[in-house]
Amino acid sequence: MADVRLHQIKKSFGSVEVLHGISLDIASGEFISLLGASGCGKTTLLRIVAGLEGATEGRVELGGQDVTGLPPEKRDIAMMFQSYALLPHLSVAENVRFPLRMRRIGTKAEQRERVADALETVQLGHLAERKISQLSGGQQQRIALARAIVSKPKVLLLDEPLSNLDARLREDMQVELIEIHRRLGLTTIFVTHDQEEALSLSDRIVLLNKGKVEQEGAPDEIYSSPATPFASSFLGASNLLPATVRRVGGTAIAELEDGQTVALPADTAEGACTLALRQEDITLSGEGDANLTAEVATRVYLGARSRYILRLAGQDLRVLTGTTPTHEVGSKVGLVFDADRIRILPPETEKTSKDT
Amino acid sequence: MVGAISRPVRIAAWIFVLATGLFLLAPLVVVIGVSVSESQFISFPPDGLSLRWYKEVLSSDSYLGAAWISFRVALLVTLTSTLCGGAAAIAINRRVLPGSGALATFFLSPLVLPTIIYAIGMLMLWSAIFGPVTIVTIWIGHTVITIPYVVRTTLAVLSESDPFLEEAAQTMGAGRVQRLWLVVVPQCLPGLAAGAFFAFNISFDEAVVSLFLRKPGLTTLPVQIYGQLEFSPDPSVAAVSTIMIALTVGLILIIDRMLGVQRFASS
Repeated sequence: MADVRLHQIKKSFGSVEVLHGISLDIASGEFISLLGASGCGKTTLLRIVAGLEGATEGRVELGGQDVTGLPPEKRDIAMMFQSYALLPHLSVAENVRFPLRMRRIGTKAEQRERVADALETVQLGHLAERKISQLSGGQQQRIALARAIVSKPKVLLLDEPLSNLDARLREDMQVELIEIHRRLGLTTIFVTHDQEEALSLSDRIVLLNKGKVEQEGAPDEIYSSPATPFASSFLGASNLLPATVRRVGGTAIAELEDGQTVALPADTAEGACTLALRQEDITLSGEGDANLTAEVATRVYLGARSRYILRLAGQDLRVLTGTTPTHEVGSKVGLVFDADRIRILPPETEKTSKDT
Repeated sequence: MVGAISRPVRIAAWIFVLATGLFLLAPLVVVIGVSVSESQFISFPPDGLSLRWYKEVLSSDSYLGAAWISFRVALLVTLTSTLCGGAAAIAINRRVLPGSGALATFFLSPLVLPTIIYAIGMLMLWSAIFGPVTIVTIWIGHTVITIPYVVRTTLAVLSESDPFLEEAAQTMGAGRVQRLWLVVVPQCLPGLAAGAFFAFNISFDEAVVSLFLRKPGLTTLPVQIYGQLEFSPDPSVAAVSTIMIALTVGLILIIDRMLGVQRFASS
């Protein structure tokens, strides 16, 4: 176990800079997620920590030691790959023993014991003598995890390890990852594009956007208080509405682009801003005392719930509701929400992608 | 619909399959038939039944001597061809060398180059620089024409393996040499084995280069067979050929035991 310090990491491929100076302190035993859309540089950053990629500028420290110039085999790390990268010509047990063999950890007997322990940790002790090709995807995934933890590395690096699993297996593995992390306390860096994974697993989330840290913080903090429109739309499918805030008497009023207004808390600052409203915070009503009125563009039936796409002031809004009552496409609906749930963010500088 | 194949197409397909089988197997049947003939002359169907030509072959110094040379050459060629071809395939597969694509084409070029032109050039070059040809000349010549097979089979296997294996090994503490021997070479193994099989068979069977590079005392088996057929044809030629067929089939069976022909053929 050790802390990881990244100092002003920059990375260019040719003339394209993909990481623009990222600094990060990761405490010993911390589980941190690098979250972002594809192409944001999260995997590149992880590969720089591993040593598979050299940083163009900056410094990497593991446990207080500067390892910037060291190749991966000289760093005390373990990494789990998206493809699992199990060695197909070796048995399960030999795969898990591989890091111990390469790093000359322990005697043969001790190695056997540690392999058995690691396989037990992922509950696959009975598969030790199998060939890799005889395993299912989920089993391969666990073997890869066992192989990554067997050497008790200073840092455990996980590169989207759950993305190739089906939904049920993925949930199981999330629970297992949390338990293994609690038990072994390995400093862990987890790369993912899946906000739910990041929220459920991490002590801290680092949200990356276009090679920069957009926001970092504890999951509940980053979810409930996104600092930017990007953070807001990336975490939790927020609806973003450009608006202008004016003070009228003792209250603040936000005026949307189509002229509709919403009352905001009185201390809201005047000027251009973005209103962020989560889809789960909105309910629909036919008429009456709604905060805003919008037109139904699409209705998607999801079984237990319905998702509506509404058009309001030139923006598409997503709302998740119960299946009744049904609102017809083309009809007007009222949006009901608690004004306290609106987050006021800086105006959007450019269109951010709404990935959910 | 997969099942809906029209009748004319089905008939045509059957004719094609039968014709292929006929032209592939019929010559072998003729050769084996002739080899058990009792007659002095090459005739089919055989005149009587006897193994006299096998006895003849197995006690003939010229056949046994030629076979011994062919065998030694084939072994050497298998070794060098597998080493060079395997190394080339690994290098090409990484695409880190400038012009990997051009290199791949270069290593496969002996496949398309007319062997006779290569053989003539090899003879002239060798004579000009080193003088009389030796077994080494044939060794080098055969290595060149068999390398493409090793490169191809090894590349085929490598292109299907997980490109992250080596990086994964690196994160597990494996240094350069360990990665080569414990990760890359085992990945290549089925391809190398297939390539080695091709190299041995092609070298053992090769006539053109061997013909140009022959001299008294340096005659490979195919050249010996050719000479025999040209100057004093008798069923011994068929007997040798039958033995070669049997050896090849034996080799395939051994490989099937060790690697499985399916896996082998797919590379």
